[in-house]
Amino acid sequence: MSKAIEITNLTHKYTQSGAQEVVAVSDVNLSIEKGESIGIIGHTGSGKSTLISHFNGLLKPTSGDVVVDGTNIWADKETLRNARFKVGLCFQYPEYQLFEETVYKDIAFGPKNMKLSPEEIDERVLRAAEFTGISKSMLEKSPFELSGGEKRRAAIAGVIAMNPEVIVLDEPAAGLDPAGRKSLIDMIKAYRDSTGSTVIMVTHNMEDIARIAERLIVINRGKIALDGTVDEVFSRSDDLVQWGLKVPEITEVFTRLHNMGCNVPRGVYTVDEGVKILSRVMRGGAGLG
Amino acid sequence: MVKDITFGQYYASKSVLHRLDPRIKLVLCLLMIVFLFVCRSFPALALMVVFTLVAVGFSSVHVKMIAKSIKPVAVILIFTAILNIFYTKGKYENGDSLVFTVLGRFEVWDKGLYTALFTMLRIISLVIISSLLTYTTTPTMLTDGLEKLLSPLKKLHIRVDTLAMMMTLALRFIPTLIEETDRIISAQKSRGADLDSGGLVKRAKALIPVFIPLMVSAFRRAYELAFAMTCRCYTGGDGRTRMKQMKIAPRDIICLVICLLVCGGVIALNIFFKKVI
Repeated sequence: MSKAIEITNLTHKYTQSGAQEVVAVSDVNLSIEKGESIGIIGHTGSGKSTLISHFNGLLKPTSGDVVVDGTNIWADKETLRNARFKVGLCFQYPEYQLFEETVYKDIAFGPKNMKLSPEEIDERVLRAAEFTGISKSMLEKSPFELSGGEKRRAAIAGVIAMNPEVIVLDEPAAGLDPAGRKSLIDMIKAYRDSTGSTVIMVTHNMEDIARIAERLIVINRGKIALDGTVDEVFSRSDDLVQWGLKVPEITEVFTRLHNMGCNVPRGVYTVDEGVKILSRVMRGGAGLG
Repeated sequence: MVKDITFGQYYASKSVLHRLDPRIKLVLCLLMIVFLFVCRSFPALALMVVFTLVAVGFSSVHVKMIAKSIKPVAVILIFTAILNIFYTKGKYENGDSLVFTVLGRFEVWDKGLYTALFTMLRIISLVIISSLLTYTTTPTMLTDGLEKLLSPLKKLHIRVDTLAMMMTLALRFIPTLIEETDRIISAQKSRGADLDSGGLVKRAKALIPVFIPLMVSAFRRAYELAFAMTCRCYTGGDGRTRMKQMKIAPRDIICLVICLLVCGGVIALNIFFKKVI
């Protein structure tokens, strides 16, 4: 089976106003299997966004190769176009890309560009709307009448409707309230569970990423600083702080409890998991699950 | 692609030209552009070119930036040069004329070559002088200067301060909107929008998904900005004073004198030498 995305020796440089060259991504090697759920974390300006813009060929690498589903996307115009549909990229604040008269038409924009039949388009729009919790009545509204959270969902639906093999989300929950955040992350999780597609999420929020990802990639200064399972990455909390990141707060709490001699494990990354363990301990049972 | 626009960009430095009073700079810039068109003989134009180069030298703006500002007009330059070379015919005032060479059906005249060279130098100098103004003056200073220069119009009940504020804001938002455009283009391309192929109509239609979000976000920003300005008690220009008052310094006078001397020189050289145009 071919890999979903395979990146070899990717370097991206650009010239800033003035003359000096900036290396945004330098010599990155990355291989993403089909069906993986990956979190990309890194501080602001670490090069995460530049890196993901290479996944669907929005940016052309200065050097190196990007291979999606076994084909080099820069081989010709056709492969590049296919990459756009195979890898669905959803940018930060995607609601600012809404433009159609109705939500329905906006979600249909991607599938329409794929030159699908009207029936197929209809089917995909409804499916995407269902995944993102957009009701039938909302589909007929103008996207500009929706609330902030609804707009976000509509925009994400626009990417999901293309049925991409890989979906890349850049800070999908940025600027949402805690409830909106939680339900959006749940939605992405549910989407992944039912379709089995590859999900790549970029975020600053360690709690969010801990709930979704199985593998974490830490980017620092345009390079991959660390690539491993959630356990491997979050066990190196000192390094994470040095890279401008941190472990989830709940993990810190449990590490301290553990060090104080309480009967709890260290590797706890989500509040839900923490609550389960604590309630078991309080009932008198063993904390170690 | 859209990022290559240099218009209205500021190049930070502390050179003499940067410190010049914006009012003086604006007036001198206009004056020198007018005198580029007063030039009619090569020595006069040479004086202007030298003046421009010296100004570039004093501005400490990187040569690359100057070259970048000429790039967009390259097409116009080549176009005017070709037209002039092939279509200018005729005699000088003293009766001289010469067919330089014949290329197929076209005769290239002596005067055509001169005119082409002359116009090219003129346009290049024009672009350099005007971009020097924006490179060495912040948009705020520029509009402040303009406001002061136009302030006599207040007597005619024209809201000069409002116009100046609008200009400041417009200039301020050029880079922001360029960035926004890039972002929206990326987002729509990710949904398979095809912006670079097809005929004129198809391309124009393909811009709708970019244009509408851009307009929406421009309005949103305008509302936010208006709100922020109200919060800081902006009520229009009446009674508004400046923290930094503009003052004419000795260097402003010196620059003014130098420019006037160059202008005088241009007139003199026009009289004493053969007119080309």
